[in-house]
Amino acid sequence: MRELPSLGRKTLGGVVVLALVGGVLSGFVDKNALSSTLRLSVPIAFAALGGIFAEKSGVINIGLEGHLIISAFVGIYATNLTGNVWIGFAAGVLASTLFAVVFAIVCLEFRADQIIAGLAVWLVALGLAPFLSTVIYESVNAGSAGFDPITIPGLSEIPVLGALFDAKPPVYLMLLAVVGSWYVLNYTAFGRWVHASGENPQALDTAGVSVKRVRYASVLLSGVLAGIGGASLSLSLGEFSGNGQTMVDGRGFIAIVVYLLGNYNPIGTFLSTTLFAGLQTAQIQLQSGYLPSSLVQTIPYITVIIVLAGVGRTRTPDAAGDHYESGEE
Amino acid sequence: MSESDMLARVKERLRAVLRRSAQTSAVERLLISTAALGLAVLVGTVLILVSGRMTTCTTAAATYFGVGFCYDPVTVFDRLFLGALGDPMNPLFRPLHGEFAPPFRKGWSPFNAAMAVTLRETTVLVFTGLSVALAFRAGVFNIGTQGQLVAGALASALGLLVLAPIVPGGAVGAVLLVPAGLCIGAVAGGLYGAIPGVLKAYADANEVITTIMLNFVAAQFALYLVSNHFQRPGSQVVETVPLPDVGTIPSVVFDPRTNFSLLALAIAIGFGGVIYYLLQYTTMGYELRTSGLQPAGAEFGGVKTKRTIIASLTLSGALGGLGGAMYVMMILGNFQTGVPSYGFDGITVAILAGNNPLGVLFAAPLFGIIKSGSIVIDTATSMPPQLVDVLRGLIVLFVAMPEFFRLIGRRAIADEPSVPNGGDEDA
Repeated sequence: MRELPSLGRKTLGGVVVLALVGGVLSGFVDKNALSSTLRLSVPIAFAALGGIFAEKSGVINIGLEGHLIISAFVGIYATNLTGNVWIGFAAGVLASTLFAVVFAIVCLEFRADQIIAGLAVWLVALGLAPFLSTVIYESVNAGSAGFDPITIPGLSEIPVLGALFDAKPPVYLMLLAVVGSWYVLNYTAFGRWVHASGENPQALDTAGVSVKRVRYASVLLSGVLAGIGGASLSLSLGEFSGNGQTMVDGRGFIAIVVYLLGNYNPIGTFLSTTLFAGLQTAQIQLQSGYLPSSLVQTIPYITVIIVLAGVGRTRTPDAAGDHYESGEE
Repeated sequence: MSESDMLARVKERLRAVLRRSAQTSAVERLLISTAALGLAVLVGTVLILVSGRMTTCTTAAATYFGVGFCYDPVTVFDRLFLGALGDPMNPLFRPLHGEFAPPFRKGWSPFNAAMAVTLRETTVLVFTGLSVALAFRAGVFNIGTQGQLVAGALASALGLLVLAPIVPGGAVGAVLLVPAGLCIGAVAGGLYGAIPGVLKAYADANEVITTIMLNFVAAQFALYLVSNHFQRPGSQVVETVPLPDVGTIPSVVFDPRTNFSLLALAIAIGFGGVIYYLLQYTTMGYELRTSGLQPAGAEFGGVKTKRTIIASLTLSGALGGLGGAMYVMMILGNFQTGVPSYGFDGITVAILAGNNPLGVLFAAPLFGIIKSGSIVIDTATSMPPQLVDVLRGLIVLFVAMPEFFRLIGRRAIADEPSVPNGGDEDA
């Protein structure tokens, strides 16, 4: 068990290499490709950051996909209601957070199986978003105003990397959230509590910190972060589409693979996110080529499977998935 | 203590765990599933009322407490449950008002078209429910029944199209082709299920993620294969040419136009019994169940965990594939992309059944009613049929929280006996 940190380093090293390969694949030489990679990273990165907090605290949130779906729809609906994209965005995040509240209560108060409760969150959102869309818009698809890009004069002129300074607000938010999550997890008391809550809840309890409260906070945070991801996804495009698996299309599940690959480190997670987003960018370019688009679209999913098999046993927090009952109740 | 003594004790302990979990489950499971269903209907009612205020309509469908609503939950649930059975109730049968007319409406036949839809959905759901239940019992979260069903459906359709010209027509052809089609579906689904099994056993890849990813892959691959190589000429949708009649399952009693065969339902029920027997009375079943309950103990007790994981996912996939073959050979008569979410509904059926194969035989018709009723809702009311997908999620959510119902149950029971003692002690 103790040699695992080195595995972590190895994984991280692997991720960096993979991200570079992904970057090259997507054509880092091209400003448009980098810009598209960053845009496609947003929902996956936010959901993955949320997943890190929840799982590190000991609650596996497999319903991230559901949080993305519901916030994507509510973001569009509330934007149409209020006419303000930012209020719509906030409403989307709120909806996802409410789902997280329900998930947290079900898991922490009623000791539900976390995997099944997470699946339920996904299934409810998968039904609810197209249902509400049909009720309100008479179609599973809906449109609204979307975010306008923010271009920083001068910096956006830099070749290739200028893409970092010529993007819609969610991209900037993502970069902030990655660094912020990394700081919170590594350099704050809350970060240490989250870690202890997932690895050794008894010790945290003994130290006088409520395991339940830390887990509530972490699960809610996962709802907030995934909500930002979902609302960003729909509001960047100014539309929600609810056919089949909805516009989210498995991003919530890819997010889980991404943070496992990034070994619960926000920076590593972000790098592996860019790998998948880079693949999607490459896929869009390949589609205009000679490969049938239906086959090209399987590439990200097959990559997830290969990566997951390659990484193998990931070091999940010791107490993840287990219910913890404080001794003094 | 000798090693064989240790092993004997471990095995005895495992048996005790199995016995305990079997005893506590039966009745309690039934109560929890019923309560969860009730709560889902209750929350669904609130949702119908709230969404009825969010939309616009010229005349209110219902008025409660002086407020008009665009959708009436009573009508919706009436259509959902009774519409799916072909409206069996006699309007004059009102026992609460002291009127005892015959309970069934005149002219109602259990072999009506709506009932046929309910039962054909039930048939496929028995297979997907068994598929999920078997895997869950072995402690493997197979979310990939949907993909395995697509693999089975596609393979059986293509296989039958290849075989049909070779075999003779008439009854002989049907006797050869129908079992062949089902076998091809089962093998394809089983192989597709074996992939995440091998990945979990040998590479420790989380099966929840791999099976969900394989669902996406199956749908895309089916789209590629049919649209690029087997597209029916001139058709607007992505589909293969129709199967020859000898390759489809013949209907019994019911009108052939309803695309339902009692024979298929009988096969499905038979599989429920077979899987129950397999889990309960065979060595393999014992190994599956112990790995599900106590993986570490099972391994110590001599169960080959890797083999068990692969076996459970392969069998689970084969059941999903059989469901797909039934869907193609009984309902569609060819393969079309955009396969309904039978696999995900199978999760609900299995969870509602407490992962018991015999329980699946009761949960599947219930869900068959809901699926068939959603079609009735779509034609008879303005309610979007996606409501049913919300109910599916809610049922899973509520069944997942048995503690909630136990808590309520304890409160309800504890209230009465505590009275002679003069009330609560720790108050």
